Amino acid sequence: MKGLRVIILKELSDHFSSYRFLILFALITMVSLITVYMVGLNIRNELAGIAKPRFVFLMLFTSPGALFSLVQFVAFFGPLVGLMLGFDAINRERNQGTLSKLLSQPIHRDVVVNGKFLAGVILITVMMASILLFIAGLGLLVVGIVPGSEEVLRMMIYLLVSIIYIAFWLGVAMLFSILFRSTATSALAALAVWIFFSFFITLGASVLANALADRGGAETAESLIKKAGIVKAVTLLSPMELYTDATATVIDPRRKSARSVIALGPMEQISMSRFSGPLALSQSILVVAPHLIFLVALTLICFAVSYTVFMKQEIRSI
Amino acid sequence: MRRRTWAAPLIIGLAVFSLILSFVPATAAATDEDKTPERDIMMSAEYPGVVVPKGEEVSMDLIFNNRGRKGEDVAVWVSETPDGWKAKIKTYRFTITGVHVPPDDTKRVTFEAIPEEKTGHGDYRFRVEAKTQDGRFRMARDIRVTVTEETEADTEDRGVKLTTSYPEIQGPSDARFEFSLEMESKLDKDAVFNLFAQGPNGWDINFKPAYESKYITGVRMKANQSKTLAVEVKPAVNAKAGEYPVLIRVSSGDAKAEAQLRVILTGTYGLEVGTLDGLLSLDARQGKPSNVSFYVKNTGSAANHDIKFLSFKPENWKVEFTPERIDIIEPGELKQVEVVITPYEEALVGDYSVSVTVEGEKATKSIEFRTTVKASAAWGWIGIGIIVLVIVGLFGLFRMLGRR
Repeated sequence: MKGLRVIILKELSDHFSSYRFLILFALITMVSLITVYMVGLNIRNELAGIAKPRFVFLMLFTSPGALFSLVQFVAFFGPLVGLMLGFDAINRERNQGTLSKLLSQPIHRDVVVNGKFLAGVILITVMMASILLFIAGLGLLVVGIVPGSEEVLRMMIYLLVSIIYIAFWLGVAMLFSILFRSTATSALAALAVWIFFSFFITLGASVLANALADRGGAETAESLIKKAGIVKAVTLLSPMELYTDATATVIDPRRKSARSVIALGPMEQISMSRFSGPLALSQSILVVAPHLIFLVALTLICFAVSYTVFMKQEIRSI
Repeated sequence: MRRRTWAAPLIIGLAVFSLILSFVPATAAATDEDKTPERDIMMSAEYPGVVVPKGEEVSMDLIFNNRGRKGEDVAVWVSETPDGWKAKIKTYRFTITGVHVPPDDTKRVTFEAIPEEKTGHGDYRFRVEAKTQDGRFRMARDIRVTVTEETEADTEDRGVKLTTSYPEIQGPSDARFEFSLEMESKLDKDAVFNLFAQGPNGWDINFKPAYESKYITGVRMKANQSKTLAVEVKPAVNAKAGEYPVLIRVSSGDAKAEAQLRVILTGTYGLEVGTLDGLLSLDARQGKPSNVSFYVKNTGSAANHDIKFLSFKPENWKVEFTPERIDIIEPGELKQVEVVITPYEEALVGDYSVSVTVEGEKATKSIEFRTTVKASAAWGWIGIGIIVLVIVGLFGLFRMLGRR
């Protein structure tokens, strides 16, 4: 992989020096800090009346302060970072004519696409890790809680999943930048995909569920569960849903299922409330194992497609 | 005339005086001085003839009656004592050889004859003689004692009697049984009675005074007194159901009595349920059966019949027992029961409480299992397979398309 290092370093320096990235980074950091600060102030009220609170530290990330929790925020706006990093990765070079110059150097073509992708991933990693560390430090300061080893582990898994998730959007953006010559087109296409998966698929799913499950008459528990099942099945097509479910379960030990609607019988409730303990980390991971796997697979496949398309493209003709 | 006026108030005064002193006829007679002789004394035995069982002491009063106007000192002795007997004359405190009898009074002393061990049945004659100091009055009395052969003498109550209203008490093995015994002394003197009890091995039998909680082994009875005793019987820990006799014996010297009590144990009903290793938690997977075994032990002393198993479980779960029921468990016996717990296929992961109630005829016991439903690891392997496949595909692409 000769030349990969050079490409990565060059890409990173380009990113860090671009105003676009700095503005985005500042925005996300600011919003995260505000979110966590609100949570820090609210957390005392939430813990009132709980005899022995556990996993308080993780509540910094999951508890919705004023509007939404950090986990939700990353799920919604994390993709934007990926899109911004990747939407003009290839076609800008092509439009400026630097791509053929680059490839005339002793650099292989796959190194270019790999290097650009890896540089994006490294940037995402730096960003997410610094946000999390910043929040953890602020949590120590505002709430005064020291995280346990399991909490740190859960946080690291959350970080890893978040990186993979944002890397997926980076891959999508890079695919569009390879497919479309115009940067505006690729940016719009990437945004359209993001908006579709983030907002419209949820709406569409409930419309579809209503159409399929509603037989008229009053809503029974059964029809509600059926509807929830359909909504879930449809929305799981969205990587955002995969990510939200997976991270919510990983970071909150009290969540026992990724499902949003759970039917519990009265006996089951009594039986469960008898030992209402948090899940072990391994169990939390196993519960959302399918989500994690598909997220990883989607990311890899998305990259593989962009790679294949780029490798087969005619470049020198322009 | 003058004499009468003097006599009338004297009679009234003496009468009042005598009323106060309760000496009605004796002192009043003093006025009739002419009729009383100067000296007159006589001796008599209370019972000139008695019949006693073998080995029994004879005790009776000798009565001295002085009808004269002078007090007399009388020497008294037993002049004839048959072989095998010891006789003496005594008061409540000491043996005496003489007694003072005030004028116009009666004095009692005690004649006591104690047989030796070997003294058999037959007629025995004692002679008691007495004389005044100057020898003017000599008195002699014969006392005949007939000793009868002992027939059923051992079982017969002698001198003391034991009665109980409730000679049989029924109850569970872990109860305390309290019998109430009426004990009646027929001795004419105070005596300390020893209390014995004989019961089955390992049983705890104690005597208590009625309405008191201290344990006693002896009791002092005044002559002809009766007392209520409580007998507390505590069966041995491992006593089985059945009928048990308890023999109560009180004795003081020769006086003794027996009472037969009976305790009917119905047995206790107790069950113990647990797992052999004491572990009350198990892991299960959704929709997959999970085994655990527990034992049922009869800790009672009576057999427990027809033992059923019930379970408290979440909906849609299956809990099965093999065997489904136990017909009988003898006391102390241990039986093992296999439980198969199958969580609902869509059960959430986490800890559930599944409790099993062992319901016997007269005893019930519950045991609670903490059932941890774990996520199926199948997805983990499938997932690793998928990811490996994707990565292999990616590297395949790298090889195929790379280096262009």
